[in-house]
Amino acid sequence: MDSDHEAYILLLLSDSNLPTGSFVASAGLESYVTHGFFADLSSPSSSAPTAPPDKMDYTVNFLRDSLSSYAHSALPFVLDAHLIVEDALKEAHEGAEGALDSALRRLRELDELYESTTLNHVARRASKNQGVALLTLFSKGFSKPQLSRHVRRAEPVGAPEPDAIVSKLVDRLKLDVRCEETHGHLPICWGVLTAALRLSPERSQYLHLFLQARSLLSSSVRLNTIGPYAAQQLLLHAVRPVVESEMSRCKRLTAASLTSQRSSAAAQDEDKALLGPAMTWPLGEILAARHDLQHSRIFNS
Amino acid sequence: MTVNTIQPGHGRVVVRNDGFSNVFSELSAAYPLKLLSPQIPSSNVSVVYMLSYGGGLVGGDRVQLHAEVLDGARLAMLSQGSTKVFKTRPGHRLAALAETGTTTEQKLEVHVSPGSALFLLPDPVTCFRDANYHQSQTFHLAKESSAVLLDWITSGRKSLGEEWAFSRYYSLNEVFVDGKRIARDATLLDEQYAQEGPLIPRTLAERMAPYSCYATVILYGKLVQRTCHGLSAAYSAITVFKQHRPPPLLWSLSPICDGRGWVLRVAGKDTEDVKVWLGKALVDLESIIGVDVFRRAFS
Repeated sequence: MDSDHEAYILLLLSDSNLPTGSFVASAGLESYVTHGFFADLSSPSSSAPTAPPDKMDYTVNFLRDSLSSYAHSALPFVLDAHLIVEDALKEAHEGAEGALDSALRRLRELDELYESTTLNHVARRASKNQGVALLTLFSKGFSKPQLSRHVRRAEPVGAPEPDAIVSKLVDRLKLDVRCEETHGHLPICWGVLTAALRLSPERSQYLHLFLQARSLLSSSVRLNTIGPYAAQQLLLHAVRPVVESEMSRCKRLTAASLTSQRSSAAAQDEDKALLGPAMTWPLGEILAARHDLQHSRIFNS
Repeated sequence: MTVNTIQPGHGRVVVRNDGFSNVFSELSAAYPLKLLSPQIPSSNVSVVYMLSYGGGLVGGDRVQLHAEVLDGARLAMLSQGSTKVFKTRPGHRLAALAETGTTTEQKLEVHVSPGSALFLLPDPVTCFRDANYHQSQTFHLAKESSAVLLDWITSGRKSLGEEWAFSRYYSLNEVFVDGKRIARDATLLDEQYAQEGPLIPRTLAERMAPYSCYATVILYGKLVQRTCHGLSAAYSAITVFKQHRPPPLLWSLSPICDGRGWVLRVAGKDTEDVKVWLGKALVDLESIIGVDVFRRAFS
């Protein structure tokens, strides 16, 4: 796909008005604030006296720890789902029978694996809500309208159109989610959506992390921990290096070899295990799972 | 009992219940792993201590334990004191320099047949400065079996000023029920290296602060339903108002697998506090494995 197309898709997907449901998710930030973690936790050491950390520092602490764990646990699923859909598109375009069925089966396995990897119920709930919102966004917001008065009809060609294949795949996945045959988790749905829009896997992963970071910053603005200008400053100067360092750490991770439901002897091998998804911030897990215990809250996660 | 030659660091435990009492049909291990089964009052509950010579493991040590709990037996797997992971063997610094950076590996695979139960309640793992630890534990349960799986870690030798100073800790717990994976708990704690760009790396100690002990307990099955209901009620009764400092101990509880299993996580500023808390939270297990065995695990 040419870079003009990719740039245009990036513009569309990074629109903060996209109905993706992320505005009700704080990914544990609200709970982090409520539990008193906007406080100086460093042990009083002998190092040179510096100014005490401020709310910007605490926000960046959360951003870095949270994004690091999210990247390590979710990016492998974004990549794998993306590759599954890319493969299916290629095969279906070449007229291979059953390409869609096999892609759907593999996506469901991946979705099931993400469910069993995500061991906190609040994060699972938020992930499912946002995932299904993305599928709806694709079928309602990104499918081709008729517009017969304005747009010339493409000449029918022999092979099935990629757009048609993609719509069918997304519709069937959505149906599976509705029938509760699969969960529809965010990283998987994001991989499907971006592959369907022909974004490269790496762009897709990068954008996913960027949007996750931006959503955290919007949450902090809504929680009134930092102001909108400060959020913008962080977005420009802090988020980029954070996203880039997480990308270089996590973009090659994969869960593909783990989807077999039987014993995962392969996963126990040290090198292979380290290439798989993992949680890197146990404190974040506990705080996120305690979200619903807050006396008052404005987010769903 | 069959006598097989066992590879270094390997161990096997097979315990079954013959209708009257538990019988070990296998209990064997080779250096550096040592298995001990003390006599205890109840005949339907067995205890196996997983020990290592010298009370610790060093870089390059590989321990691999395979266990089967059959025919309604209940097995508690314990340790004696925390599992200490050294980078090199103490007193052999020079000789061990060659293996700098080698991983210490522990693998555990347990099969629990229907009606049987496993209680994995070891002391926490303590990784010393620069240690590199890799643990993978796989549990194959049946729908009618039960399990309590505790996995915990401390920040290091606090008395020597070590706080999250190891180089890498990886722990994987996978639980399968009738062949279907219901939980994959993978935790990676490592020091991140400086990369190009303006960012100062955030240290592991900063990420883990202010706590120095983290525990995860996976619970599954009929025998632990009462424990889980109690925990669940206590958990939903909590109301958190705005706090100004993090509390000394935090815990969370999440259902998995449509409420047939639970994941309990605890973080504490003090390892002893976490141990005391777990001892209270899981006290119902006394009636399942007996007061004596329970106290061996939590006192």
